[in-house]
Amino acid sequence: MTQAATTTARDFGRVLAQRERRFAAALLAPAFLALMATTTFPLFFLIWTSAFRMDLAMPFTNGFVGFENYSVLLADERFWTSLVVSLVYTVSTVVLQVVIGLALALLVMDMKRGQGLFRLIAILPVVLSPAVVGMIWRTFMLAPEFGIVDFLAINAGLGSKNWLGDPLLAMISVIVIHTWQWTPFAFMVLLASLASLPEDIYEAARLDRATAWQRFRRITLPLLRPAIVMVIIMRTMVALTAFAAIFTVTGGGPGTATEILNLYAYRKSFTELSIGYGSALAVALLIVTILISAILFAMRRAK
Amino acid sequence: MSGRGQVQFRDIVKMHGDFAALKDVSFEIKPGEFFALLGPSGSGKSTTLRILAGLDAPTSGRVFIDGKDVTSTDARDRDIAMVFQSYALYPHMTVAENISFPLEMANMPKAEISAAVKDAARKVRIDHLLDRKPGQLSGGQQQRCALARAIVRKARLFLLDEPLSNLDAKLRLETRAELKKLQRSLDVTAVYVTHDQEEAMTLADRMAVFMAGEIQQVGTPAEVFARPNSIEIAGFIGNPPMNLVPARYSNGDVIIAGHRFKTIMQASGERDVVAGIRPGALRVAPSGLSARVELVEDLGDTAVLDLDCAGTLIRVRVSDENVPREGDTISITARAQDIHLFDPTTGKRL
Ligand SMILES: Nc1ncnc2c1ncn2[C@@H]1O[C@H](COP(=O)(O)OP(=O)(O)O)[C@@H](O)[C@H]1O
Ligand SMILES: [Mg+2]
Repeated sequence: MTQAATTTARDFGRVLAQRERRFAAALLAPAFLALMATTTFPLFFLIWTSAFRMDLAMPFTNGFVGFENYSVLLADERFWTSLVVSLVYTVSTVVLQVVIGLALALLVMDMKRGQGLFRLIAILPVVLSPAVVGMIWRTFMLAPEFGIVDFLAINAGLGSKNWLGDPLLAMISVIVIHTWQWTPFAFMVLLASLASLPEDIYEAARLDRATAWQRFRRITLPLLRPAIVMVIIMRTMVALTAFAAIFTVTGGGPGTATEILNLYAYRKSFTELSIGYGSALAVALLIVTILISAILFAMRRAK
Repeated sequence: MSGRGQVQFRDIVKMHGDFAALKDVSFEIKPGEFFALLGPSGSGKSTTLRILAGLDAPTSGRVFIDGKDVTSTDARDRDIAMVFQSYALYPHMTVAENISFPLEMANMPKAEISAAVKDAARKVRIDHLLDRKPGQLSGGQQQRCALARAIVRKARLFLLDEPLSNLDAKLRLETRAELKKLQRSLDVTAVYVTHDQEEAMTLADRMAVFMAGEIQQVGTPAEVFARPNSIEIAGFIGNPPMNLVPARYSNGDVIIAGHRFKTIMQASGERDVVAGIRPGALRVAPSGLSARVELVEDLGDTAVLDLDCAGTLIRVRVSDENVPREGDTISITARAQDIHLFDPTTGKRL
């Protein structure tokens, strides 16, 4: 009698658990399908496409080519150049964002008043669309004679410069623009983790006779390390796949001076209409991004 | 090392907006002394310690260490070590790194540092934990680590802000005894903040009793216990606290709940007073103030009785032998020198 009762109770429990699982699956399904349709499927389609010759300008040559696109890619000087541009762009923007963001956060932490206002102003560039930021910089800031930057350069006696026409200046410009827009993000994250550091250990360090610099080197920096590494990881991934701001400011030019890998893939696919080769470039970017992220995550775990 | 670590506070005031955390505090600490700052929570003890350490600046007044005015000297340059109530260990460093930090900042050679760290760790018995991070230590071990970090550098002043308050009762008693031995062996001036009168009584050579931002009495624990300056101190020091009952003084006697007690006061005349008698100073006797036993708290070796003396509550500590039972009527007496008289309006001792 009791035996039977417990058995049914257990069965009942199992049925209930099963029903609950089915219900959960039903709830998840739409989101899961949408995710598959918008990320996983395009990804596989991209890889599939990269195995074809698909040239809209010369459709008669189209067909399956296997790894041919990749062997072409490895011998393509413009690919290697764009990869270098990507790395220079990524490293310099990320380093600048972390250094400036940290400096600002340290400054603002010491501000007695006006912190709220500063944060509000600081967040503005982040909420703008990168395309809009690109337009603002191209027209208001960098336009010869009329742009604010050029105006300042003229007044400083440097003379009018062709900010976006000179290869080096164009590269510097797109780096500055990206840094300008995204430093506030690093600033906000680092400020938040600075604010969470206990105050008493700084007092202890003062009594232990550490100078301000020693307190920064020995206490602040190690304690901020997780936040800094996180910012580096997040910003690196974004910088590697940056697009809109460069596209609107220089379009990758002059020539290929600011053509990061992402932009090269775009130009190949949609300007030169070589969709198969463009896909191979995009896959190469994906691999580079994954490799770098893996290295960064490994560094994060180390120690 | 004597002659080092003399402290003088002169007319120190600390304001937080309109609120006076310290109102005109002056005191002096002699070299080599174990000095306690005792007082209830919020009475300004930590504020005093932080001003002494140089972590906060006083609103007015001057601080002298070894005869030198250090009021505007930065904490870094005062040569003071401190154990924080929160311990304030560096969370990313191991115990060894925590302890060696003050030595590294003083540019001590590496070889000497590791010897000094081991020595300090051994003194507080954490030499087996040197490789752990503070997060992997128990509260008592963290406290010892903070202690080791403070003693490793031979600072001229050693400050402790309620170092035992986060420990459990048993550990607190053990550590208390060790602290005293440590201070003796180091021969260093120590300033010890506590709200626990028992800690101050057992540890301190002298103590300052704080009440609401003011020092009400400075003296040895025995002095303060024997002659509390005010009703507040009388009620704060001693466990259970002193009985404080409204009474009438009349020509050398004091009348409590209708019974006349002899006092050591000689003054003639009559006036209202507050009479204070320690629970341990009252005796059960054949004749005296008669009282009904309301409650018996048996503490093992002694018992505390709550007595109802014609409506006034009086507590008595009696030793084991013949403890009355609840409901009994007994009578109690006290010696003249054990009766303290206070002014009911000013609260000061008469
Ligand atoms: N930064 C501050 N702002 C306002 N009031 C404070 C501040 N620091 C301390 N106080 C007040 O000063 C009084 C004394 O504080 P403290 O010295 O910490 O007391 P304690 O004797 O418990 O150590 C308390 O009433 C506290 O609320
Ligand atoms: Mg305190």
